[in-house]
Amino acid sequence: MIEHDRWLTLAGAVPKPRWSFRLVAIGCLAVTALGALSIKLAQLQVTEGASLAALARANSVHRVVLEADRGVIYDRHGVPLVENAPAWTLEVVPEAMPPTTPARAAEVSELSTLTGVPLERLTAAIQGADPYGSLRIGPSLTEEQELAISERMPALPGVSIARHAVRTYLYPTILGHVLGYVGPIDPSQARKLSSRGYQPDELVGKVGVEAGLESRLRGVDGWADVVVDARGQVVRTLATRAPVPGDAVFLSIDLKLELATAAALAAGLQRDHKTAGASVVVDPRSGEVLAMVSIPGYDTNLFTHGISQADYAKLTSDPNLPLLNRAIAGQYAPGSTFKMVTAVAGLQEGKITPETMLSCPSYLSYGGWVYHNWASYSLGSMNLARALAVSCDTFFYQVAAQLGDITLARYARAFGFGSAMGLEMPGVQPGLVPDRIWKELTCGVPDLNSDACRWTLGDTVTFGIGQSALLTTPLNQAVYVAAIANGGNVLQPTLVHEIRDASGHTVLAQKTVVVDHVPVSAFNLGAVREGMREEINRPYNLNYWFRAAGVPADGGGKTGTAQWGGSGLDLPTHAWFVFFAPFAKPDVAMSIFVERGELSEVEAAPIAVQVMRYFNANRQAIQAA
Amino acid sequence: MASMSVWRRLDFAQPAAAALLAVLGVMTIYSANADWTRQVAWIVLGVAAYLAAASLDYRRLLPLAPVMYGGMVFLLVAVHLVGRTALGARRWLSVGGFPLEPSELSKLLLVVMLAAFLGRQSSLSWRRFGIVLALAAPPAALILTQPDLGTTIVFAAILLGMLFLGGGRPAQLASLAIAALVTIPALPYLLHGYQRRRLEIFLNPSSDPLGAGYNLLQARIAVGAGGFFGQGFLHGLQGQLGFVPERATDFVFAIFAEQFGLLGSLLLLAIFGTLLVRLLKTAAVAPDRFGELIAGGVFVMLFVQVVENVGMNIGVLPIAGIPLPLISYGGSATITTLAALGLAQSVVLRRRLVVHQPPATYPEVFDPSAVRLSG
Repeated sequence: MIEHDRWLTLAGAVPKPRWSFRLVAIGCLAVTALGALSIKLAQLQVTEGASLAALARANSVHRVVLEADRGVIYDRHGVPLVENAPAWTLEVVPEAMPPTTPARAAEVSELSTLTGVPLERLTAAIQGADPYGSLRIGPSLTEEQELAISERMPALPGVSIARHAVRTYLYPTILGHVLGYVGPIDPSQARKLSSRGYQPDELVGKVGVEAGLESRLRGVDGWADVVVDARGQVVRTLATRAPVPGDAVFLSIDLKLELATAAALAAGLQRDHKTAGASVVVDPRSGEVLAMVSIPGYDTNLFTHGISQADYAKLTSDPNLPLLNRAIAGQYAPGSTFKMVTAVAGLQEGKITPETMLSCPSYLSYGGWVYHNWASYSLGSMNLARALAVSCDTFFYQVAAQLGDITLARYARAFGFGSAMGLEMPGVQPGLVPDRIWKELTCGVPDLNSDACRWTLGDTVTFGIGQSALLTTPLNQAVYVAAIANGGNVLQPTLVHEIRDASGHTVLAQKTVVVDHVPVSAFNLGAVREGMREEINRPYNLNYWFRAAGVPADGGGKTGTAQWGGSGLDLPTHAWFVFFAPFAKPDVAMSIFVERGELSEVEAAPIAVQVMRYFNANRQAIQAA
Repeated sequence: MASMSVWRRLDFAQPAAAALLAVLGVMTIYSANADWTRQVAWIVLGVAAYLAAASLDYRRLLPLAPVMYGGMVFLLVAVHLVGRTALGARRWLSVGGFPLEPSELSKLLLVVMLAAFLGRQSSLSWRRFGIVLALAAPPAALILTQPDLGTTIVFAAILLGMLFLGGGRPAQLASLAIAALVTIPALPYLLHGYQRRRLEIFLNPSSDPLGAGYNLLQARIAVGAGGFFGQGFLHGLQGQLGFVPERATDFVFAIFAEQFGLLGSLLLLAIFGTLLVRLLKTAAVAPDRFGELIAGGVFVMLFVQVVENVGMNIGVLPIAGIPLPLISYGGSATITTLAALGLAQSVVLRRRLVVHQPPATYPEVFDPSAVRLSG
């Protein structure tokens, strides 16, 4: 080596590095390229650094919602009516699934097989979801599905099983119309409520008390800020806020009375081969609803677990309309049960006195039309109490004709007819109070002198016996008979006895609200009540049911067989019975409705008697604080 | 005497820069939750290759060039015949249980082969230009069809760079440049599906933020999130949580930049710059054209890989699977890089010497103390 170098040195070899033009040029290129990369790096890390760092955090720091337990609903004595049962659902973080199309498709198809959710729905849901969020798939898993998925989990990236509470109704069919159910929030509703913390996959009350008291029952979701890795696995938790459970709602409903009422109504309907009916039992002193039944009902638990298409189709195509809560939304003519309004108006307006004797012919003519009594023979002359007891139509035609439609409508509205009662659930219907103004407004014909638009005396007299276009609901009827029972106070009906927050403090206690006081003197109202007492004490008639059941006929009642479906003679009817008891100091009022009932004395009244039998035997338990 | 002389001739800056890079590489691979112990093993093997290459007189390789060329083509053909397939590409040979990536090794073999051929004459006739292209084409085609676009690009860059350094005429270089310009529009038709997609996504990264554009965006986010000082070693959100893909190989720079920030990134580029300058200087002091072209070829090989890898990590160049030399995880690449640097060191050791003060009369006995390192 040294010899070689020596040789070079001796030979006078070139003493310096030879920087050829090309070496310098390629060196300059390298310096330029590295310089350009440095400038770009500085731009990325300094100028855009803050925003890209925020993106990095958004990648990995996720806010996980901690669902608040939905408030439990109890009856007035604290008996639970629902529970939050633990259940498992499948959750998917789309981002953590295999990125390549075929692998992901294979996983989605396996999930479809494991859960039974149709492949198209699953694919669409995953494509439409927030890739970093966790998407809840389909209904709760059965135990076998849960096991099968747990076993396959290592081979299913991005998939997890989440435990959560499923609303389970303990009396799903009987209390279905009262409690309603929870279901997936509508997209439009979710957008509207997102400011209040609602998630797009949230379950909300859809009908009944679940919907009416949604804001109380929901509670406040908590959250946890967690750091997740690219597979969606939680690495650590940064901060949390515990959820606040929803309020506990104590309904005014007495569970046992509710069950007894449902049993009585069901038995009555079955005996008379009827398929639908409703009943509302209220406390006439407070307006609290003690029982509310609408038959047929439906299994609300079907909805919370995600109802199948077939089950839903069966419910919607059922001619008996099981999804219709007849107690609040079934609107029917009240028929003869309305006669107390005509009586109160006639007395209070001075058209009659309790002792005024009016004839009860088999028919009367008004404006060239004939209006019949239910009896094809004359019942002779009678006073008001008797007219109520035998339900003489022609007696009340004469009273109504003297009052006129405007006055009659005023009294009807004072008793709460024609107004939605503001119960703590959606879907309460107002019914309808007709008069000449209503007819002109709604006849739909420009010529106000046409028959369709002109109110006739015939309209007035049929209005007086609860027909014409008059409509009411079982809830309306219960409030109306409660007002007769309590001296004329139309009370705000309520389903809520008390609401307590998660720590047990009462946040809302039931308060009796007088919506309206019917302008009627105690004397006049007493005369009407006397007529109602006389009706239930008629031997060989209503009195029979009381005696047969061993229930004292201490109270007042009124039957009604209301025609519906147009005009004519042999129209189909609905049967009504309204009742309050005891006579002196009423503490219960109720309405019984039998759809397509033909004979209210036989079909509707015995149901009320059965309810009363239970009520009398358990009065103290029901009224215990 | 002799050994001391060798010691004094050594280019210390070059192995020092390489060692620094290897240490940073192992740290980054460790932070990316990859198998850093294996990388240390690769480095140990690479150091052995470095020492072997440095102590070998590079001039002995000159007659071996045809053999090396044949070996390269043989290995690349073998990959096609018995290679292992992963991620849709057939790139690996199993040698004694270890995966060998011949396309990595072929980069260095190409450098030596071109240096041997181009070093023979100082100018390049069109005929010899044609022979160079004809020699380079078969291995390039074999690599491209594995498919390995990244290595093909490095291959082409080495060819172009060494033709430039090796006396290629302006017209020859221009014709190659024109050929490249003609090929680029045709690339979408020549490329494999995922490669075409990568190119499209480079041109419009937000077109598919969760699919193939994901890598690009996540890497950019990681680099940017580093900021000026970095998130700190082992504290990069993007890297530690696995959002950056291929984070020990192709996107290792993003992981590094997230943890060490602009400061660290510029330091890394400065170390690469030092290494490149030393290689360029090696070319300048090389005693012959073969040595000059070896050093120049190694320079081009490393330079292209650094620029392309960093460029794709920060989103200014399309994604191609090219490792960041000595930083990215990978045995074949690490050993090849260290062997290439060793070869350059071999050129340094055999460089010309500069006489400090030409003596008036030549001494009877040569005094090594009168000899000074030229660097």
